[in-house]
Amino acid sequence: MKTPINRHMNILEFALSSLLRRKARNLSLLGVYTLVVFAIASLIFFVHALKREAALLLKDAPDIVVQKMVAGRHDLIPVGYGKAIGEIRGVSKVTPRLWGYYYDPVIGANYTLLVPDDGRVTPDNIIIGSGVARTQRVNAGDLIAFRTYNRLPLLLTVKDILPSESEIVASDLVVMSAPDFKSMFNMPEGLATDLALTVANPRELSTIAAKVAEMYPDTRPIMKDEILRTYDAIFDWRGGMMVVMLSVAALSFIIVAWDKATGLSAEERREIGILKSIGWETSDVLVLKFWEGAAVSLTAFLSGVALAYVHIFFFSATFFEHALKGWSVLYPQFRLTPAIDAYQLSVLFFLSVMPYTAATILPAWLSATADPDSAMRS
Amino acid sequence: MRKSTVFVIFTACNMALIAVMALYTLYSEMAAVPSRQRRAVMVKELRLTDLCLFTEARYTRNPAMADLNAPFQDHPGALEHFPSGSLVTPPRREREAQ
Amino acid sequence: MIELKGVTKGFNAGRPNQFTAVDDVSLTVEAGRLTVLKGPSGSGKTTLLSLTGCMARPTSGRIFLRGVRTLSMTGGEGDVFEVSSLPERFLTEIRRTAFGFIFQHFSLVKGITAIENVMLPAYPTGEGHASFKKRADRLMDMFGITRHADARVDWLSGGELQRVAIARALINNPTAVIADEPTAHLDSRLSREFMEIVGRLRDEGKTVLIASHDPIVYDSPLADTVVEMRDGRVTGTRKKS
Repeated sequence: MKTPINRHMNILEFALSSLLRRKARNLSLLGVYTLVVFAIASLIFFVHALKREAALLLKDAPDIVVQKMVAGRHDLIPVGYGKAIGEIRGVSKVTPRLWGYYYDPVIGANYTLLVPDDGRVTPDNIIIGSGVARTQRVNAGDLIAFRTYNRLPLLLTVKDILPSESEIVASDLVVMSAPDFKSMFNMPEGLATDLALTVANPRELSTIAAKVAEMYPDTRPIMKDEILRTYDAIFDWRGGMMVVMLSVAALSFIIVAWDKATGLSAEERREIGILKSIGWETSDVLVLKFWEGAAVSLTAFLSGVALAYVHIFFFSATFFEHALKGWSVLYPQFRLTPAIDAYQLSVLFFLSVMPYTAATILPAWLSATADPDSAMRS
Repeated sequence: MRKSTVFVIFTACNMALIAVMALYTLYSEMAAVPSRQRRAVMVKELRLTDLCLFTEARYTRNPAMADLNAPFQDHPGALEHFPSGSLVTPPRREREAQ
Repeated sequence: MIELKGVTKGFNAGRPNQFTAVDDVSLTVEAGRLTVLKGPSGSGKTTLLSLTGCMARPTSGRIFLRGVRTLSMTGGEGDVFEVSSLPERFLTEIRRTAFGFIFQHFSLVKGITAIENVMLPAYPTGEGHASFKKRADRLMDMFGITRHADARVDWLSGGELQRVAIARALINNPTAVIADEPTAHLDSRLSREFMEIVGRLRDEGKTVLIASHDPIVYDSPLADTVVEMRDGRVTGTRKKS
């Protein structure tokens, strides 16, 4: 019984035999190909999942954050600004934020110190993120020694450790009371790091921000959607390391396809001649070349994507760890919630499978259309 | 077993695996809702503005808050010396101070 | 079963290196018989073979096929069709199902096994693997090369390769077998063995057409008709009475 499926399976069989004739070469080609797809797919998964997480979490960030700028740099803001700002119509609440960075020279880690406005910690107590607990190797009830601005020691008791599920947003946090914060940084009275505004109607954000900037020209209001767009643009493909990775990948695809695209060897041409002479038509030869290309590229793509998914969502992107960690000592440990960007994956599919398959088929076209008669004479 | 059969089975398994991954993604999305909500509450109560990803430097820890000068803290012509600085792009501003 | 009437084949028409390979040839290849084309190289034997086997079209003249059944044409035993005027599609169908070719250098695909070589012509036909594998096994058994089935052809001797080439020519159950100088690279013993196999094929009812300048072939008692050629023309026909 003659069926098209039989035809394809049989031709595929011969295509695989052909590939296996040069086993080492084709297997290493497959390996490299899969590796490149793995790297790019890992990147796609990681970046997409992270951006998604950021978008979902930071929806609850402050509506507007007002920073004071001096000589182009972020400076402390007088709490008094908040009074006039609070009178702007649409602003329901103004909260001065007290936060800053602390560098622990012993461990070499950077922490973010923060004062909550609900008084959840009393003086001498702190709530720390799990990353802090990890680097300091402490549990609830232990003491941590900080050094204040004038090098005096400040011992604070860990009241609680934030849950590990909060690592992505609170790994390096040290939540402390206002008096402790003052001891640490000697921040003058009446000054805050910045002001957080609560705005009832999200559509008024721009107008209110404009009014704040007009009222106090030395401030810079940061709106929530700007915060969100920062994370949208994170890992932008125009950024340093991303460009390098993507260029390397593009080059690898080109190199892999180049070998095929530069034409057939005499051996391959002879073989096509033989096939034509024993009854294979032009279309049969082209199907053969198609399967030769597709077998390799399809396998590479599917395996690379599957491995990338496992890498990012089950092994927390271990291969990217070094690049992401950089010089930081405190590195948040979190498992990303899986998210798939179908668009980018299909682009990857087209870029990885189509050119290679085309590069395998096209050079054979001329030989495939040759007269079978000429094969008799060879 | 013929090579072509092996290949077809292998490819089918691969695609099935990816289908399972897609389903797992959907499942995880639902399963993640409670912890996402808890984190969102934390963000709201502590008034956080950034994810804690890169603790190397100020402007990598709070990229949404960073001013344009922060990366050049040492010298106006200083080259980027924190590795994660090449991953974190400067925040986009809708408009500069008017 | 194959009739050629006034067939001419020229190459490179209008160019300085134009030449006529086959010049006004008329001959009949009878069904179930062995026909040998005898003549020196350059006499047009190979061209005539490829015309007969529907591998090329004549410049002028007509070629008729009788008693060939293919998928697309429902020709019965008595049906005749003119091959030289058929569109390309039908030609390839005929070529695939009606004829089996054995080439001078065997033209086997290196690097794959003998049995895969034998089955190759059947791959693109859409037939199920199991059924043509059975035929391939039977053919290899018929020619005594079953033990080499899974060996790569690179490792086989001349005689073994010859048998693989013959088996390959028969895989699609062709009505006719066409061979171009099949004994050119064989010693006398193997050449005689080849003729023995040809005899067997003829006894099975296959039409065999061989082009050769080897006396073992054209002087063989099995040859029913010997057509002598020189410079593209037929110079003599000898039929076994």
